[in-house]
Amino acid sequence: MRSRESELVSEHRTIPNVGGSSPGPAGGSAPDPIISSKGLGKDFGRVRALMDVDLSVGGGVTGLIGANGAGKTTLIRILLGLTRPTSGEVSVFGVPVSEDPAGLRARIGYMPENKCLPLDQTAADFVSYAAELAGIPSAEARRRASETLFLVGLHEERFRYLGDFSTGMQQRVKLAQSIVHDPELVLLDEPASGLDPTGRERMLRLIARFREFGISVLFSSHLLDDIERTCDWVLMLHEGRLIHSAPLDPPTEGSQVSVEVFGDPRPLIDDLVSRGVSPAVEGPVITVEGLDTDVFVLVRDALASSGSSVRRMGTGLSRLEDVLESATRGPA
Amino acid sequence: MTDQGRQDQAVIVDRGYRHYEGERTGRSGAMRAIVREGFRRVIGLRRKTKHKLFPWSLIVLALAVMLIVVAIAWVSSTTVGPEATEELIPRYAGYFDFISVVALLFTAYCGPQLLVPDRTHGVLNVYFSRPLSVTDYLVAKGGAYAAVIYSYWLVPQLLLHLGLAALSPAGFIAYLGDTTDILWKVPLAATVYFALHASLIFLASSFINRVGAATAAFVAGVYGLNLVALFFQEAVSAPAARWATLVALEQHPRHIRDWIFDRSSDVVIPAQAGFGPGVSLAVVCGVVTVSVGLVWWRYRRLA
Repeated sequence: MRSRESELVSEHRTIPNVGGSSPGPAGGSAPDPIISSKGLGKDFGRVRALMDVDLSVGGGVTGLIGANGAGKTTLIRILLGLTRPTSGEVSVFGVPVSEDPAGLRARIGYMPENKCLPLDQTAADFVSYAAELAGIPSAEARRRASETLFLVGLHEERFRYLGDFSTGMQQRVKLAQSIVHDPELVLLDEPASGLDPTGRERMLRLIARFREFGISVLFSSHLLDDIERTCDWVLMLHEGRLIHSAPLDPPTEGSQVSVEVFGDPRPLIDDLVSRGVSPAVEGPVITVEGLDTDVFVLVRDALASSGSSVRRMGTGLSRLEDVLESATRGPA
Repeated sequence: MTDQGRQDQAVIVDRGYRHYEGERTGRSGAMRAIVREGFRRVIGLRRKTKHKLFPWSLIVLALAVMLIVVAIAWVSSTTVGPEATEELIPRYAGYFDFISVVALLFTAYCGPQLLVPDRTHGVLNVYFSRPLSVTDYLVAKGGAYAAVIYSYWLVPQLLLHLGLAALSPAGFIAYLGDTTDILWKVPLAATVYFALHASLIFLASSFINRVGAATAAFVAGVYGLNLVALFFQEAVSAPAARWATLVALEQHPRHIRDWIFDRSSDVVIPAQAGFGPGVSLAVVCGVVTVSVGLVWWRYRRLA
């Protein structure tokens, strides 16, 4: 059994950056994987949902990205032992899923993408019930439900019926039920789906906090931005194939900024050049890096003086997008 | 202290996340939780008032029938005499008939409440992400259903038993001593009713995605099949038509109940068609087996 919170925070496994390797097509692997698979495949009749997936995922927050229909939900269901793979093998915590699916599910939390809440129950009753379903005794389940709802920001509303909740609040209850039984790993299927920007922001912040709780996360999304902001490691699925598995290097403050502007980018490029910078231009994205000065400040000033309107701006803005684009453009 | 002062001293408390190191009750604990929660759901506990109205109306009705029976027994024993009471008052076997429509409605209401919302609200995703199998889930739901239905059948019967014992001219204790067979006959008869009704309503609730529609399908199916059986009994003279009367599923538990209570079954359709209670028992067993198989198959596909 794991130790208490403070110890957990210190001993928490960060995503191993395998030999410092740069992200490459399905190349990375974690040395002490929580999830691993070899030759994993799943067919639904003639439809090939997953093909020859070799995975190795460590702790921390891992993003599972892919377009709709890429096989994300199928992979999650296989990890839960709810769907049997057609070929290959998969293990969670080193235990083959086919060997003890129920035992593994006791150690895993799951937040489904679709609705999963009984609307005639209160949040406290439902989350407590979800804990009991995972084997937590009744009195403790009620205590944990209260604490978990506090954590997701619904303590005041815990005795309200779920049918009276907004979409954002319902998503947070779904998240609460996935961690109420103290799982070691949570599988989140599109947790920010259907949320407004504020709700999405709140959800991503919550997920990012799981790191400090010592809970590993596999977090599926079709939104690159969500993954880039939240995850340590990224898996990319495309048409059932794993096309990318690598760490997301934490952005170094001030070392690289990518910006995309509305309209003609030339005034901005000229302004940056006049400031002694050699920006890298790739399509609509302008990247500035490797300066001693604060790059954000420099780009901000150049934007202001050139009169450009920002479309997007951030660190490593196009990294995942590039990988996805190059993978989907050519043969996988 | 001023408001400003209070604000200055306010602290944002972050409780963080507490890990759990205590015992885990495993599958049996999870199944117990499903039974408990199912019981609450059916009778509307911890739900809005509108969810309580229908089940509690039927519960009150069942208890009212029992009270009326006891009241009639009391009035007739004081005015006509105890001998008349024996003939006038429906006893344990008769009570099943006396509340049959109400009980059937209660049965029809409970089954869909247990299964349909879990499916339509997507809660199955939560159940099956826990260490539970489809069999565990269905057995636990069956347990919840049994808890509710047995309570519905047996609590009024127990009160009736105590009421009749209190009114008995032989005395309370003597009456209880003379009627010990009731203690196994009533639960056994209730089990037959439960097995057939539970399997049929679970079958309807597994394939129909609306609570009201599943309830209506069950009630219409049960009484509709009675009409079909009556049609074959009355209007068709071919010898094989006799077998068609066996589709009157609702009649078989009555037939078996009369067998258990050693009563005449002459008003029951299968008995009128010349079938013994053993045939009714075989029909009940067959229907239960097929229904359970179909329900299990359906949920295996859903999981």
